[in-house]
Amino acid sequence: MVDTILLRLRSVNRWVAILIGVLLLACVVFVLADIVLRRLGSTLGGTDEISGYVMAIATSWGMGYTLTELGHVRIDILRCRVRSRGRALFDLVSMLALSGVITLIAIRGWPVLERSLANGSRANTPLETPLALVQAPWLAGWVWFALTAWLTFLAALFLIARGEFERSEAAIGTFGEADALR
Amino acid sequence: MIGYLSLGLLALLSLSIPVGIVLFLLGFGIDAFFSPFPLIKGLGNLVWSTSNNATLIAIPFFVLLGEILVRSGIAARTYAALDKWVSWLPGGLVHANIATATMFSATSGSSVATAATVATVAMPQAERLGYDPKLFSGAIAAGGTLGIMIPPSINLIVYGFLTQTSIPQLFLAGLVPGVTLALGFIVITMIICAVRPALGGERRMFPLLVMVRALAELVPIFLLFAVIIGSIYQGWATPTEAAAVGVAGAIVIAAIFGGVSTRMFTESVLGTVKITSMIMLVVIAASFLNFTLASAGLGRELEAFLDSLGLSPLNTILVIVCMYIVLGFFIETLSLMVVTIPIIVPIVIEQGYDPIWFGILMIVLIEMALITPPVGLNLYVVQGARREGRMSEVMLGAIPYILAMLAMAAALIAFPGIALYLPNSLSGS
Repeated sequence: MVDTILLRLRSVNRWVAILIGVLLLACVVFVLADIVLRRLGSTLGGTDEISGYVMAIATSWGMGYTLTELGHVRIDILRCRVRSRGRALFDLVSMLALSGVITLIAIRGWPVLERSLANGSRANTPLETPLALVQAPWLAGWVWFALTAWLTFLAALFLIARGEFERSEAAIGTFGEADALR
Repeated sequence: MIGYLSLGLLALLSLSIPVGIVLFLLGFGIDAFFSPFPLIKGLGNLVWSTSNNATLIAIPFFVLLGEILVRSGIAARTYAALDKWVSWLPGGLVHANIATATMFSATSGSSVATAATVATVAMPQAERLGYDPKLFSGAIAAGGTLGIMIPPSINLIVYGFLTQTSIPQLFLAGLVPGVTLALGFIVITMIICAVRPALGGERRMFPLLVMVRALAELVPIFLLFAVIIGSIYQGWATPTEAAAVGVAGAIVIAAIFGGVSTRMFTESVLGTVKITSMIMLVVIAASFLNFTLASAGLGRELEAFLDSLGLSPLNTILVIVCMYIVLGFFIETLSLMVVTIPIIVPIVIEQGYDPIWFGILMIVLIEMALITPPVGLNLYVVQGARREGRMSEVMLGAIPYILAMLAMAAALIAFPGIALYLPNSLSGS
């Protein structure tokens, strides 16, 4: 059960990351097209604005992938000096802090979207993008990150309670600096 | 507030809580204890406006560029080509290590991936040709650090974003110190190997024809670098647009040299997303902390704090340099930069220094953090690529290059023009 959850989280987040990559590549093409057109004296307009939206969405959705790959930097100067039981404690504390903070961000992100929905706000640009259209996927990314974090935390807590420190470490530990590259 | 910040930072970081989360927690603390009005209401807006940013998308673009070049095997080819050109120098292949690491981390800004690639390609040759493993691996670790100085540098983009200084100007300012450091590394290697030829292994001369053919492999990379940097300086592309051009160029180069595959793309993309989100969590958190500190009146408190210390501007800088060297032993590069910017940069500006100049000085100090033990990412990366030998060998080998960086930091303090001449001359005209 726990294994299924952790495996599923990893594979879903991997797919999300690949989709983000496609989005980024599309954005590259868009920016290039605009540069070429500008040389020819025309413009697509709004590349900056759209790049910004892509960045916001790519950032929020990519966070969960980085978490499952143990990619968020931690300073493990004390952590690496204790035994596996102690390391498990460090990992749980930091996962709890992370899950809590990310949940707070997701909650505080709601008013941003709510206001755009209520006022029908549009970006103050020639494109007049309806903000809710881009803020909704952005916020969903943070909610997904919070969800990934809590599920991972609970799975690891379960593993630690059963004394399976090695497996919990694979889920919420740190990469040794030498393993930081696959 | 300064005491709370420093203590809180150290305590939370040593609990091994992710760096970005630590900065958020500190921001919440500032809000709860020091701010006259609740700042947390602004959290959602701040996270949105920080990540909705067309300049920051240059970060994933540059990372992707580097990933493509490294994973399509271009880095390995460049290494072989550079070998033909520099192996006649005293120190031979060691120069190829430095040059390849410099070129790749320069185009991509990903110093870790570069150090890993160069180490994997280079190590077998080192054994075969009888190089001293200390100097050989130390040079790879040190060469890799240059990527965060020589533009386009992701760290300079982050610095420019957080301190609101011009990124093209920062790029210009980093050019001379970065290239000087690379040359300095090469000169140091030559001196060491001239004094102790045994360390340098066999010097090899290649026939002219082979050298010319190797040049053909180097041209595309130089061209890519020139296009990226040139288009930013000419002012016809923003850093973001230049980065997009760079990605396209990297794909074309990879296609020509036959390294394009679905697997290569997938891996490059996954690597890019992982690194970008890691950077962005820290950046978003730092700008939230910046915002709470500014609202809670850090500026006034810092002024009073500095008055009470009564240090001259020069002494302040020296204290700051020492602090970075000490912290650099323990904290990894980007984190070190981001956690100190909110406190240190206002102090430096308050003392009348140029934030662009300080950005470059800070980068030199942070480069050192990459190769100073016990926490020096590049040392571990290079050691990871070696199949034998002890970690301490890499550390010893890096020492001459650390000395070069210290010399560069001193030179920057004595002659700020090293960094500021280019940006000033261009913006003045």
